[in-house]
Amino acid sequence: MILHIARKEMLEMRRDGRFQIASAIVLTLLCVSLAIGWQQYMAISRQHELARAETRNQWLTQGQKNPHSAAHYGVYAFKPRSPLSLVDRGADNYTGVAVWLEAHKQNEFKYKPARDANTLARFGDLTASSVMQLLIPLLIILMSFSAFAGEREQGTLRLLLSMGVAKDKLALGKALGVAGGLGVLLVPAALIGSAALILASETGSFAANLPRLSWMATSYVMYFAAFIGISLAVSAVAKSARLALVCLLGFWIFNGLAAPRLFSDLSRAVYRTPSSFAFSQRMEAELKTGFDEVEFKKSVLARYKVSKLEDLPLNYAGLSLKAGEDHGNEVFDKLYAELWDIFEAQNRLQQQGGIVAPLMAIRSVSMGLSGTDFAQFRDFSVTAEKYRRAFIDVMNTDIANAPKTEAPHLGDKNLWAKVPAFEYTSPSVGTVLSQQAWSLGLLSIWALAASIAAGWAATQRLKAE
Amino acid sequence: MIPTIARHEWRLLKADRTLAAVVTLLALLVGFSLYNGSSWVEFQRQTLDAAKAEQTKRISRLTQDLAAIEEGRMQPKSFQDPRSAGAIGGTSAAPYLAMPPAPLATLAIGQSDLYPYYFKLNLRSKQAILANDEIENPTNLLAGRFDLAFVLVYLFPLVVLALGYNMISAEREQGTLSLALSQPVTMAQLVTGKVLLRGGLLLGLVVAFTLVGALATGVDVSSQTVWMRLGLWMVLMTLYTGFWFGLAILVNTYSTSSATNALSLAGAWLALVLVLPSIANLIATSVYPVPSRVEMVQAMRTAGKDAQSRGSMLLSKYMEDHPELMPAGEKPQVDFASVTYAVQIEVDKQVQPILDRFDKQVDKQQEFVDGFRFLSPAILAQSGINDLAGTSLGRYKHFSGQVDGFFETWKNYFLPKIFQKVKMRSAEIAQLPAYAYAEEPDSQILSRVAVVLAGLAALTTIIFGIAYSRLKRVSIAS
Repeated sequence: MILHIARKEMLEMRRDGRFQIASAIVLTLLCVSLAIGWQQYMAISRQHELARAETRNQWLTQGQKNPHSAAHYGVYAFKPRSPLSLVDRGADNYTGVAVWLEAHKQNEFKYKPARDANTLARFGDLTASSVMQLLIPLLIILMSFSAFAGEREQGTLRLLLSMGVAKDKLALGKALGVAGGLGVLLVPAALIGSAALILASETGSFAANLPRLSWMATSYVMYFAAFIGISLAVSAVAKSARLALVCLLGFWIFNGLAAPRLFSDLSRAVYRTPSSFAFSQRMEAELKTGFDEVEFKKSVLARYKVSKLEDLPLNYAGLSLKAGEDHGNEVFDKLYAELWDIFEAQNRLQQQGGIVAPLMAIRSVSMGLSGTDFAQFRDFSVTAEKYRRAFIDVMNTDIANAPKTEAPHLGDKNLWAKVPAFEYTSPSVGTVLSQQAWSLGLLSIWALAASIAAGWAATQRLKAE
Repeated sequence: MIPTIARHEWRLLKADRTLAAVVTLLALLVGFSLYNGSSWVEFQRQTLDAAKAEQTKRISRLTQDLAAIEEGRMQPKSFQDPRSAGAIGGTSAAPYLAMPPAPLATLAIGQSDLYPYYFKLNLRSKQAILANDEIENPTNLLAGRFDLAFVLVYLFPLVVLALGYNMISAEREQGTLSLALSQPVTMAQLVTGKVLLRGGLLLGLVVAFTLVGALATGVDVSSQTVWMRLGLWMVLMTLYTGFWFGLAILVNTYSTSSATNALSLAGAWLALVLVLPSIANLIATSVYPVPSRVEMVQAMRTAGKDAQSRGSMLLSKYMEDHPELMPAGEKPQVDFASVTYAVQIEVDKQVQPILDRFDKQVDKQQEFVDGFRFLSPAILAQSGINDLAGTSLGRYKHFSGQVDGFFETWKNYFLPKIFQKVKMRSAEIAQLPAYAYAEEPDSQILSRVAVVLAGLAALTTIIFGIAYSRLKRVSIAS
């Protein structure tokens, strides 16, 4: 019986010209956005790969110089794109792509791609994720707003119920019908997406991305299930199909359009971001205090039980540079942690917006699994900063241990090669899932609650007249 | 006749609960969005004030230090002489170049959260200055702001459509359409009366709420430019509201049910406001892709490394080209500061073509989407509102042009002094080149907004033309 109903629903959809056009448009947009996402991903990651090799080469072939000037010359770290960013670009366009790793300073990431974008970019990127987060829910609403209310208006509901069709079976059949209609659309799109991902991944790394991909698929299924449930519930309760449509469209607009901006502005009002000016002033002030060169000199002399710097077994310059670096690192750790904790608090508040707007939850999960959210940007920044500290330390250790001669101490190829190339591996799927626990929980609650609501509305509140 | 229809419409609307809901909703949306806009403007003002204060303090300390050295009360350190032109122009007297928020900035945050509104000058490369920007959570930049422009461009059309989707169809469904038309009134008059009343009401509400909100959040309305901008903004809103009412009439002329009308209009809104801009953006980024800036970073480093290795040669070459800069009675002497700047000049020269290539590609992309915007009233309205609020890309380009110009002035003032190893005096500090932001002339804003208004007027006229020409075909009874 359930399957009969589902088949009838799908048949009706197939015969409805409006639905056909709408699905064709959505499917086209989905495929086009995947294809272009893939092409742009390939182009950008090739550029980053080249730049990465180039910056390493520049470091190795910088010639003979004082290790401290080499530290000042530094290297660049470029944020790699994750292959899944072809599905969801997330905040990638709004984070800088390059950071200069140099002595004394933890620099900001520079060059946000958004600053090179045209003015339409702020209307939103057309990516597979935006199609799935915005347009497919709309399609679900169109498919199901008249599921019960429409049958009632046409008088067929009375007929159905008189034939002894159980209401719960009717609801399940309708839900399956909508899901089937969606499946016709999404399965080919998912195949194309996976194919694009395989093409985008180097050999072997597709398997590494598979857990992320399957979690992503599961999350989107929950998101769609929530919308099917809500639509059917409203359709069963509403007095007329028109009213059901208006209510559902209202919810869709709130969910897709108003909520992201609303919660972003609310989170900014609750957790205030300092201005770049205030941040850098504070950093300058903290770097200036807390490290006293004279005191440090005394403590070094005391530690090695000598009275003159010349009698030290090591070069004082190296020790002093190291101590300066240590002090700076303390300040950077404190200030950047504070700043990033503000961002994370803002993002948490936005995730909690998922209580009223499921989009906030799926957006966060989708970005997280794509590796394009702030948390993974932070992870990359921290890794780059660790690398900076390690290679600066190699330079300073070399200065400290250099033979004490009149001639200036120079580092060469061998010293540069002591610094390993910068490698970054993105966090495991487990880490991402634990960061997204809130959102995943909310999504499953939405899916469950909406299904229960649909079942309840269909069995308890559905009236033939 | 039309006033009579409008009067009757008013009575009907007043009796309906919809009106109260619309008024409350609009008041809340406008209020919240203006609050967001004004808090962002306040944030920028405070930041600029703090920067200004820091600059004043820094320069007065410098002046005191120089005076102390001149009077012999202080001995300059040999490696960090505060009198050196490099130290003064590069750090201790380096000004902040600021673009204060425009008078109506509360109306639209626009691109102002993406582009810097002030720069701290130095004597290094232009890139090092321009690459700085305000700290912001990338997730917030992605979402965009809940500002008045968002309410007006995205949400307001939905309110218009909610009031207009059943203008004719509801009368037909209630059976009152044939009754009304049995009076000495034409369909066109009936529709005009309805649109004038509903449109006038909505527009009046939005304008009134915005003006009250703007005054409450401290917009200074005393200057002429503010009134010009507000006037243009009202014209823009009238045309934009008109477009959506025109669309509602057009859909109504197809004699379909109210529910179908609502669906079609929602679809049109989705296409024009959300989908079309994204597609245009997608096409633009595929046709004119802007490469990642990493390429530029690497090119700059290669140029820098190359120039560095030829540092002293570059300096002597520069001195040969500019013999007037030779320190009096000296042979060209290789000192660190002079080499650094000679290298910098060379790097800038080499990097300029790469920067130009980026700018050209970005400009091409922008030109492409500028042509595209005439297809969607939402894009037109957004760009017009941004221009009037002073948060458009146009104004940022105007500003960065000024920054470029002043950077040249600043370098031309200091670099010769660096090469000549001049020790600057305290009296000179007050005479340094000074920067003040020159606002875009009204005529320039007007010329940009005029294009937008012309585009909107054309779209609105076309849609009304088609809709009115179809009115005769509307069926009276269902």
